[in-house]
Amino acid sequence: MSGRSKGAPFKNPGWAGNTGEFDLSEAQVRGDDFVGERPKHGGHASGAGTLPYMLADKEPEARLFEGEYQQRFEKILTRYPTKRAALLPTLGLAQEIRGHVNPETMDRVAELLELSPAYVRGVTTFYTMYNKAPVGRYLVQVCTNISCNLCGADEVLATFLRYTDTELGETSEDGNFTVIEAECLAACGFPTCVQINSRYYENVTPADVQKIVEQLKKVGD
Amino acid sequence: MAYPYVSDKEARVVSQGFGDPKQRRIDTYVERGGYGALKKAFGLSPDAVVDVVKASGLRGRGGAGFPTGVKWSFMPKQPTKPHYLLCNADESEPGTFKDRELMRWNPHQLIEGCLIGAYAIRAKHVYIYCRGEFFETNQVLARALEDAYAKGYVGKNILGSGNDIDVTVHQGAGAYICGEETGLMSSLEGRRGLPRVKPPFPAAYGAFGMPTTINNVETLCAVPHIVANGGDWYRQWGSEKSPGTKLFCVSGHVNKPGNYELPLGFPLASLIEDVCGGMRDGNSLKAVIPGGSSVPILNAEEAMSCKLDYEGCVTAGSMLGCASVIVMDHTTDIVKAVRRMVDFYAHESCGQCTPCREGSSWTAQIMRRIEDGDGTEADLDTLMQITQQMVGTTICVLSDSVAPPVQSSIKKFRGEYLARMKAARSTEVPVAVPAGVA
Amino acid sequence: MSTTPPTSAPTAAPSAPAPATVTLTIDGQTVTVPKGTTILEAAKTIGTKVPHYCYHPGLSSPAMCRLCLVEVEGAPKPQPGCVTTVADNQVVRTVSDKALGNRQGVLEFYLVNHPLDCPICDMSGECDLQNYVHAEGREHGRGVEPKRVFGRDDFGGDVLFYGDRCVMCTRCVRFMSEVEKDERLTVVERGNRSVIDTFFDEGLDGTHWSGNIVDICPVGALVSKAFLHKARAWDLEHTPSVCASCSQGCNVELHTRDNVVQRVKPRENLDVNGWWMCDYGRADYEWMNEGDRIEAPLVRQADGSSKAVAWKEALGGLLARAKELQGRPVKAVVSARASNEDLGALAELVGALGGGEIVYRSPRSAEEIVLQGFPTLARRKDLAPNVKGAELLGMHRVGADDATGGLDKVRAHDGIVVVLGDALADQDERFGASAALYVYVGTQLPVAARAAHVVLPVTTHAEQEGTFTNHAGRVQRFWPALTAPGMARPAWLVLGALVGELSGEAVPRTAADAYAALAEAVPAFGGLAYPKLGARGALPMISGAAVSSGAKGA
Ligand SMILES: Cc1cc2nc3c(=O)[nH]c(=O)nc-3n(C[C@H](O)[C@H](O)[C@H](O)COP(=O)(O)O)c2cc1C
Ligand code: SF4
Ligand code: SF4
Ligand code: SF4
Ligand code: FES
Repeated sequence: MSGRSKGAPFKNPGWAGNTGEFDLSEAQVRGDDFVGERPKHGGHASGAGTLPYMLADKEPEARLFEGEYQQRFEKILTRYPTKRAALLPTLGLAQEIRGHVNPETMDRVAELLELSPAYVRGVTTFYTMYNKAPVGRYLVQVCTNISCNLCGADEVLATFLRYTDTELGETSEDGNFTVIEAECLAACGFPTCVQINSRYYENVTPADVQKIVEQLKKVGD
Repeated sequence: MAYPYVSDKEARVVSQGFGDPKQRRIDTYVERGGYGALKKAFGLSPDAVVDVVKASGLRGRGGAGFPTGVKWSFMPKQPTKPHYLLCNADESEPGTFKDRELMRWNPHQLIEGCLIGAYAIRAKHVYIYCRGEFFETNQVLARALEDAYAKGYVGKNILGSGNDIDVTVHQGAGAYICGEETGLMSSLEGRRGLPRVKPPFPAAYGAFGMPTTINNVETLCAVPHIVANGGDWYRQWGSEKSPGTKLFCVSGHVNKPGNYELPLGFPLASLIEDVCGGMRDGNSLKAVIPGGSSVPILNAEEAMSCKLDYEGCVTAGSMLGCASVIVMDHTTDIVKAVRRMVDFYAHESCGQCTPCREGSSWTAQIMRRIEDGDGTEADLDTLMQITQQMVGTTICVLSDSVAPPVQSSIKKFRGEYLARMKAARSTEVPVAVPAGVA
Repeated sequence: MSTTPPTSAPTAAPSAPAPATVTLTIDGQTVTVPKGTTILEAAKTIGTKVPHYCYHPGLSSPAMCRLCLVEVEGAPKPQPGCVTTVADNQVVRTVSDKALGNRQGVLEFYLVNHPLDCPICDMSGECDLQNYVHAEGREHGRGVEPKRVFGRDDFGGDVLFYGDRCVMCTRCVRFMSEVEKDERLTVVERGNRSVIDTFFDEGLDGTHWSGNIVDICPVGALVSKAFLHKARAWDLEHTPSVCASCSQGCNVELHTRDNVVQRVKPRENLDVNGWWMCDYGRADYEWMNEGDRIEAPLVRQADGSSKAVAWKEALGGLLARAKELQGRPVKAVVSARASNEDLGALAELVGALGGGEIVYRSPRSAEEIVLQGFPTLARRKDLAPNVKGAELLGMHRVGADDATGGLDKVRAHDGIVVVLGDALADQDERFGASAALYVYVGTQLPVAARAAHVVLPVTTHAEQEGTFTNHAGRVQRFWPALTAPGMARPAWLVLGALVGELSGEAVPRTAADAYAALAEAVPAFGGLAYPKLGARGALPMISGAAVSSGAKGA
């Protein structure tokens, strides 16, 4: 997961500036914090290490909240006046570890936060970012909302499905890709925007898709 | 500087750091005068800070345009319970992409705005409710906070002033409705993001049941500049009722889409032609949505005379919303565009209120049927009526947002709808068929 | 109506300052109500029911169904009547064109995805969707799109869920979280895909009050398995009654058809059970329908066999024998399921015979099951409805917590033995064999009644009028819901007739007379009479003050 400068296959991968007059490096646009090493348990409880990521390598059977994750969980608890408020970030952490939130995860989180399992299920299913079932190593979310749509998002989506050889919402046979449609990702000026795991790819055209897919298969995001 | 595109028509206040990778570093920020406004604010009483913001006429940039200083003045003056400031960074309105840029290029500007806001409303804790999908922005913000804590700009006894203010980044989890202020509070508390009935209003009973104020990212980003330079300074731009500058998020069929900070009242025609380099491929303009997907669509003629401020957009027949300008050229399939926006509301309705839960998906079903060529003219009347039944009858205004795109497009582009109808198809009117279907 | 349950009995002399009131106009009528009342509740006071789903007086008000929207003059939008509080000089319209238009619009949305399977829906006839649409809905719906399908789900316990009928009012979810405080239900997903569910297979098993969600579901989405397709709502007769399953005394209704109790539903009484009842009490009605009843008085013959005889003959013979034995000590066993009137008559009979000892046996459970969100309601440890009544009449508890044993002295008594209502399930045919006179008064004939000289058939509480005294001393009336089998009569009438003959006192003709006699004779029942008890009962008055909850009777 370290270093994102693994040889971008095309100019200015994945950020606002594939078009435009920009000549900044990727690290300069994204901030080297994000491009660099993922902060794990370090940092102030207000943010940093407590914020979840979406990782390619998932361990659906992993034990929850041990080691660094225990520390991150405890830091989260300090941020809110109630335990209940820690629910969303805690589910996020669980998903970072396991890749999705299954009934057993909900039950465990409910126990930790003194909530009822049914309540946790209700909250989990309200939010789209919690995967209720396992997804591929890369969750490809193509924005097809109005601005991206006007600029050809449907075609980008179709192209992703073609190159990943999968159906909408399904996971490819090699376990690498799950491709879904996303609502507006708030990058409307840089269409089409595609979120792949934790990362935004902007100004994606159908012509870029093959390169992105190959890059992901080869070196990861 | 060449952040994707810039224009000499811009008046860059909050967007100063865009395209400058150094701006997000705390040292650079401080070097450039950052956190100066915070020191100045601490020298004033909280109420005096509120007065400065009131004098500037700053209006909320989250969509509703409520005067920020006035909103702050609703908070109790003698706190008996903890107060909270919530920063609404859940940016999800289709067409809007300014808050993410503000946070990732210039996180300290937002942090400073949050601190001043918290001081003004006597809050000791700020939650920045940041959209969950913004992993990268979240990390930028969190790292900036880390530095700000380390340097004593946030936390206990800030800069030796005796003021304690904590700032927390809270990551959302994927729900547009959590941008609605009471939905955001529910979500922050660890619940389903269900908006709540008002009254009680947040200033009396908000997050965790405590007095709460909620502001958009752009609103809070403007605050340090206003406090540093005074209310009158801010009024050098815009009009009496809509003072100041505003980020315009331009997307769609223009040559140079992007964020442009312009004085309020800027002409829409000039925005498209002069600032955004005109229509792509020299195409002609068909329609513009000036304020994000929940405001009425303007046809080309209306758009040409529209002045981009709160009043000007209303005069033109729409609303400024969060100034998300979606430009459509003559190749645009209006029916499909509207259907896609309606799908969004159907997908994002929280589902509490019956008119919204049932109405949004019913509308989407009918729109889809029309798009697929199975509609009838009577469907248009049904659409007009059911979207109207969704206005003013629900807890929050997500429900009301379905009517503007649907009704305005039926009124202004009825011909396009009719061309899709069963009857029209049988007389061989050509219909754009999605590739791969026919 | 307040949403906070009153925690104590009404006090006798309220001298609190008059609460501030607000005067407004609803549909042209002037209404004065306490400050803070909602428009919906204010309208109720003049008999106007504003249609609603999500609002329930016993739950929080999320104002989400949007059915109660009313027109308030001066307000830019229609206002939800369930949460909008009244204001002075407010002008409210609940049936204006605007209000009606709004309501029709909202109702239309309810029908978009509703299956309208009324012919096979248990709620049909008492369904608030059916009612509202019938009263005010548009003639025909415009929906031609395919409907959403969720299907049916077994929630466990007695609860079955028909997802397609759900109007998403969340009453059931709020009941479980706010009242039972066991958050088993939730809304899963959001928007149009929202559906009520439990935590996967967890269901409602192990909860104690979940039957109430079936009651408060305004449509046929939550139905009772026990009642499934048993009867149509319009064929049911409703009789106010009191639950006989514990000493809480929940106010209930017995719903009957063809002289069979089909189900039990709680009846609102803020002082006792609010709107709720426990699942045990709700399920405890089959015994009322049991068929093997004693239908005629039985008199033992010289050869040991029993002969069915007419009442006159049975009572005549019994009186003759009783007069012979008058003065011999009496030992009586009663059931705490008998009414105050029955027990009072029995006590008088024992007195008229010269006195003796009266005991009762009654089952007790180890735990009280408190309804957390309405803590004045609990399934009490005493699992009979009239333990307090028996105690107030000076009767003593004997036997174990499973209502067995404790009868050794009675069993071998050689004087007069009277049994009222106790089924003597733990006794054999030699019970009472040495008694000079053994009278068994009951509904069914156990082996332990074989030695009885006379067996008198009486009615159950479902077949007669009467009162129970609940754990807190509250006297509550119930009414006959079923016709008694054969010649069975209420015990107070049978025993009262004997007392009249023995003592020369007037014989009670009605249950009200029987209660009046009791109130006169026993101070603990004093100050009350049937008209005063009404449908919701009251605490007895002793020299002007109500007996406080838990106070011991005289
Ligand atoms: C459905 C809905 C979604 C909204 N989404 C956002 C949002 O993403 N970001 C935002 O700042 N305001 C959003 N708003 C507006 C907020 O409710 C609120 O008015 C705003 O955050 C107040 O801040 P301001 O006064 O600074 O504008 C939304 C409103 C509605 C009804
Ligand atoms: S209007 Fe829609 S989104 Fe808003 S509270 Fe009601 S159902 Fe939820
Ligand atoms: S099941 Fe019944 S009570 Fe529960 S939400 Fe649906 S309609 Fe309401
Ligand atoms: S609590 Fe007692 S009285 Fe009430 S329903 Fe249950 S058993 Fe019957
Ligand atoms: S009863 Fe008022 S909104 Fe449901």
